[in-house]
Amino acid sequence: MTDREEKNNRINVDQDEKEDANLVTASAGDVETIPVAQQTVRTILRRLAELVFLLLFVSTLLFFLLRLTGDPAAILAGETGDQEQLELIRKQYGFDKPLYVQYGVFLMKMLVLDFGTSLANAQDALGLVFERLPTSFTLVLIAFTANLIISIPLGAWLGSRPDRTGRKLGSTGVFILQGIPGYITGLILIQVFSVELRWLPSIGNQGPESWIMPAITLASFQAPQVIRVISANVSEAMREDYIRTARANGAGFNTLLWRHALKNAMLGATALIGAQVSFLIGGSIITEVIFAWPGLGRLLVTSVTTLDFPVVQAAVFVISVFVYLSITATDLAFIFIDPRLRRQRA
Amino acid sequence: MTLQTEIESRVSSGLDNEVILSVQDVVVQFPRPKKKTPFNAVNGVSFELRKGETLGLVGESGSGKSMTALSLLGLVPIPGKIIEGSINLRERRIDNLPINMLRKVRGNDLGMVFQDPMTGLNPVRNIGSQLCESVIRHQKVSKSEATEIAFKALDDVGIPSARDRLEAFPHELSGGLRQRVMIALALINHPEVIIADEATTALDATIQAQILDLFRERLSNATMILITHDMGVAAEICDRIAVMYAGRIVETGTIEEVLSSPRHPYTMGLLSAVPRFDIRRPKLVPIPGQPPTAEDIVQGCAFSSRCKFTQENCAERPLLKKRDNRLVACWFPKGEV
Repeated sequence: MTDREEKNNRINVDQDEKEDANLVTASAGDVETIPVAQQTVRTILRRLAELVFLLLFVSTLLFFLLRLTGDPAAILAGETGDQEQLELIRKQYGFDKPLYVQYGVFLMKMLVLDFGTSLANAQDALGLVFERLPTSFTLVLIAFTANLIISIPLGAWLGSRPDRTGRKLGSTGVFILQGIPGYITGLILIQVFSVELRWLPSIGNQGPESWIMPAITLASFQAPQVIRVISANVSEAMREDYIRTARANGAGFNTLLWRHALKNAMLGATALIGAQVSFLIGGSIITEVIFAWPGLGRLLVTSVTTLDFPVVQAAVFVISVFVYLSITATDLAFIFIDPRLRRQRA
Repeated sequence: MTLQTEIESRVSSGLDNEVILSVQDVVVQFPRPKKKTPFNAVNGVSFELRKGETLGLVGESGSGKSMTALSLLGLVPIPGKIIEGSINLRERRIDNLPINMLRKVRGNDLGMVFQDPMTGLNPVRNIGSQLCESVIRHQKVSKSEATEIAFKALDDVGIPSARDRLEAFPHELSGGLRQRVMIALALINHPEVIIADEATTALDATIQAQILDLFRERLSNATMILITHDMGVAAEICDRIAVMYAGRIVETGTIEEVLSSPRHPYTMGLLSAVPRFDIRRPKLVPIPGQPPTAEDIVQGCAFSSRCKFTQENCAERPLLKKRDNRLVACWFPKGEV
């Protein structure tokens, strides 16, 4: 700071120094930017505060939507249940009270993370969800990693010289792959590797060999999106002036692509990859159903169809938290990739 | 001017030194798939650059001056290429080098400063890493030695608190500082020839003056090609000027010769379109018409359609040769009509 004041005092000396003084306010060299660590903490805190409101909103919406869809007591009582049984069940679960009272009770319990017990088997709802988390996350992690390992180099390569024949063919292939829906990929894989070749198990989570096909299915419709975004961004970046500057300084193809163009291209892809992770956490439902994968998505589908309110609420709560975590992670990734997003002190 | 002082001034401005860069009849051609005839952006340009000399390539947009500069580094954008001529750096031919050899020339023997400092640096990498990348490529040094070289390079071009700037990203610097970084990058491996392509054009007037000062102080003895459309900028730092029109050099001479007694009607037109404070004249005179574009196939002198001295001879193209003791490509250089 003293350095800056000193410069300000000398401001009238000549044009050169006038420029310096103006620069000081907006330069990293003079430690005016907020340190990355501090900005990371700020981002996390801001996102956490938002998360509280998001959870309240989602839970409330879900609470009333679920109550509109049907009578859980009727499902619990079954086809043989008479009026008397219904009344009993309603009383037992508190369904006889006015809706606002039920809502109040629900909110109070949510504060201590108590979502009640499953209507189907009387287990703790949140416990059921947590039981499924490791299985779900195994799939998410493998699909995400496979996606990145394939997409980043392939996208960069396809975008580096889009006019070449090999790259054109590759891009067309990626385009076709993107057009194949996940359930078709999944069924083809099962047919080939489980039914015909009998190499891989087709259902459930039976250890690493059963992770392969679901992960491929998930990655096969997420990777083409990333490949195409990276490829388009890389080919745009390769035409930028800074590429010409680097080339004029003797940079070879690999330096230009991997050290100059790719990092700029990742800016656009990061947003997409972040959105894909959110989708994977909550929405790999089709894949989970095809492979009878005991994950969070399938639990959610089953609970909704059986009107198992507590489990639905608990599952959506947990999914919301993780989606928000992935959004926060995307924010942080941006700060690390793009120096222009590191804010400066006013 | 006495003979003695004239010789001294010629030596100090490098006019009699050894030839560093020699460009012979270079033609840069762009194929046009939809038309039968290709387009020659550079159409037979020859010049020599001597040690310590600053040559100004002057001309309007589209005259081929930037393309000439890019052809020196083998950077003509695809699908254009050099189809004729030769470029020699000292005794070595560099226009037909294989790409891996060419990369050793780029930035090492020939350093280039580009026009736009706002987009010319990679926005997501800090200044230091971009400078060090070039140093490590061309010099056998460690990472820490490269950092030290980068610091000196920034300091040399007048960047204040240069050590801190190594960590800075391009967006944290002003346009003037960024152009200084671009110049540092071009100079960092001590290239034999520096090519500055409109290096001051994108800057506002005060910063432009500072960068010109930097050129004068830091690069007065450098062997340099300065590309500009601004006669004033050329007059400030060049020893010699080559005026380009429609892909060809139409007149060349020392700065005094060309500015005080232009021979080619186009040069005369350019000069009367420049505002001056030292002589009174009623108004600036624009050159009528437009320069030929890629669409026009020009027979004869390309300037004839805009020239007020046009005669029948002009249907045949005049070559750049000594007329009236000056190198002019015109049938009727001033003084002969």
